[in-house]
Amino acid sequence: MEYETSRVIPTQSVPYSRSRQAGESQDMLDHIVDDFQDNPESMKYFYDLFRQVYCHGEEVKHDGMLVGTTCIQAPEELIYAFGATPMRLCNGSYHYDQKGADFMPAKSCSLVKATLGMLNSDNVIPKVGKPDLIVNPTTCDQKKKSSVMMEGMGYSVYDLEFPNVKESEASRVYWQRSVRQFAARLRELTGNKLTRKNLQAAMAKTGRAQAAFRKLHSFRIKSPSLILGKDAFLVTNAYFFDDIDRWTKAVEKLNEELAQRDRSGFKAVQSKAPRVLFTGSPPIFPNLKLPLLIEEAGGVVVADETCSANRMLYDMTAVDEWMVNDMVDSLADKYLKPCTCPVFTRNDDRRRRLLDLVSSFNADGVVYQSFAGCQVYEMEYRSVAEEFNKAGIPMLFVETDYSVDDKGQLSTRIEAFLESLKNRKKQRA
Amino acid sequence: MKYFAGIDVGSTAIKVAVVNEAGEISGVHVTPSGSLFHKNSTEALSTLLSKLNLKREDVRYLIATGYGRKLFKEADDSISEITANAIGAFEAGKAFGGVRTIINIGGQDSKAIQIDNTGNVVNFAMNDKCAAGTGRFLDVAARNLDLDLEELGDYHFQGGEAPLNINSTCTVFAESEIIGLLAKGHGKPEIIAGIHYSIASRTVRLAKRVGIEDRVYFDGGPALNKGLVAAIQDELGRELVIPDHPQTTTAFGAAMLARSEFMAEQSLENN
Repeated sequence: MEYETSRVIPTQSVPYSRSRQAGESQDMLDHIVDDFQDNPESMKYFYDLFRQVYCHGEEVKHDGMLVGTTCIQAPEELIYAFGATPMRLCNGSYHYDQKGADFMPAKSCSLVKATLGMLNSDNVIPKVGKPDLIVNPTTCDQKKKSSVMMEGMGYSVYDLEFPNVKESEASRVYWQRSVRQFAARLRELTGNKLTRKNLQAAMAKTGRAQAAFRKLHSFRIKSPSLILGKDAFLVTNAYFFDDIDRWTKAVEKLNEELAQRDRSGFKAVQSKAPRVLFTGSPPIFPNLKLPLLIEEAGGVVVADETCSANRMLYDMTAVDEWMVNDMVDSLADKYLKPCTCPVFTRNDDRRRRLLDLVSSFNADGVVYQSFAGCQVYEMEYRSVAEEFNKAGIPMLFVETDYSVDDKGQLSTRIEAFLESLKNRKKQRA
Repeated sequence: MKYFAGIDVGSTAIKVAVVNEAGEISGVHVTPSGSLFHKNSTEALSTLLSKLNLKREDVRYLIATGYGRKLFKEADDSISEITANAIGAFEAGKAFGGVRTIINIGGQDSKAIQIDNTGNVVNFAMNDKCAAGTGRFLDVAARNLDLDLEELGDYHFQGGEAPLNINSTCTVFAESEIIGLLAKGHGKPEIIAGIHYSIASRTVRLAKRVGIEDRVYFDGGPALNKGLVAAIQDELGRELVIPDHPQTTTAFGAAMLARSEFMAEQSLENN
């Protein structure tokens, strides 16, 4: 690998750029915290966490080896079972997006560019320090092609082979084998053995986190919602890097506060605030631009179908036989079968899930974000739009990236969309 | 008599409209935005009011719209220019038998809006962060050609049969393309027609994204340009509805909304 890449790709570390990304993170946090009244008390844990990690560069402690992941298709239960700690590397900083443009064509996805830009800097956030291994599932083309570049920067990278077709039995068998091979790589890395007990404990660990998330999710079904989408996104973003047990406790505490708010009749938003389902390219801190614009304009994001929140935490593992091989296969199934990522050939499941979310969360409309250059989301827009059109559900498609230059334009479009949702509601009433 | 006003604080011009209780236009006023948004907005409103012999208190409800809508705190409320434009075009379009599709070209953006038969926005599209196909594009072109913006329309029809192709969609690149065409000895009319067709094809693409239904209403300052209107009609393959005051449709929509908001509040109080 060394031969060509070192000549083509700049491999030297980008000079100290912490202050730029820290400033960007600080600005976003100020908006999230100060522009809204009545933030839940228990959100302070998350506000402080982001301030410490993103603005002050403080390290989050971890156990064992650090395994970076570039996608939610990497089974984190396996990583925990081997005594290592997973850390999601997907980055949301515009500063690193610009830095990453050295590696990728100009018209490629902000998320991939920002992640590469961050990895090439002296500042691997969230946990300062170099991951011992990066696992890169072969999902979209841009992520696939970044393996070689990460290697060029000196990282040890594992390509986790992921199928393109979800429905076929061949894919399922292929993927189960791929997950077993990943387990073998983790064994080699950590020197530990995979045991039934360890895997069970790991599944229980993520299971508790997922249960806390599902509970949080349920408070958003309430009308009006008990928590704003900007806070919910921040909570799930923290899952990328926070100590999982500490995270679960913080979410449980937040849930208690929300239950209390519910009993006291508290309203997080006005009762007429249009309820929005958010789908498409994932909002990742500090790029919470679009969800924040929606809520600053008086709407509320009540649910999402993105890989930085709902898709990452909603679906649980279903184990038939508690034997280690069966458990690994069940785990593989969990990462393939419910996945609604647009990398697959067909997206019937994604469309079904979106319709289901609209009805169960009583959403008035849908905002579909696609990062410019994120081809799979751009291409899937058409079939999703047709589905919503048939169902009579309004949708706003927004192509954007990590920069802030389109904020003015976007706020006008979002306000107009929310106004049209309000009018529709009025007319129906 | 009670009056209601809408003020559209745009990037290039400030537009004010006043309507009476019956929803009839009492008067409109257009002035350049300049750099002092707030001062110019206040002045625009008072200029129109004094022209109409009205006092500020006669205006019972004022709604601001346009890019500067949030800055004009004197307004009772603000609304996005897309909704305001839809209301204005729906109301003004009644005289033409009703409209369902709106094309708007403004100083820094262009939009296509589809409305239902009650005037609600069903779908809309806006140009992305770029001045291609907007009023600014015409502005830059006119300056390159040493012409006033108002002259472009007449020049459009003075050329031969075929307008030139302007290939650049970027305003800055188009500027150098225009200079290149002038250097090659091409005449102003054929260049201007080319510019109009370039904007027209972009605009029609945008309109097709939202779906073209029924009559198409064209507003915004550039709708005053007859050459551009002809080019869009050619590209669209149908006639456009051009209102008497294309530049103030959005301000008129805001005024009509102010009127209905006032009436809704009144009826609440009376009950």
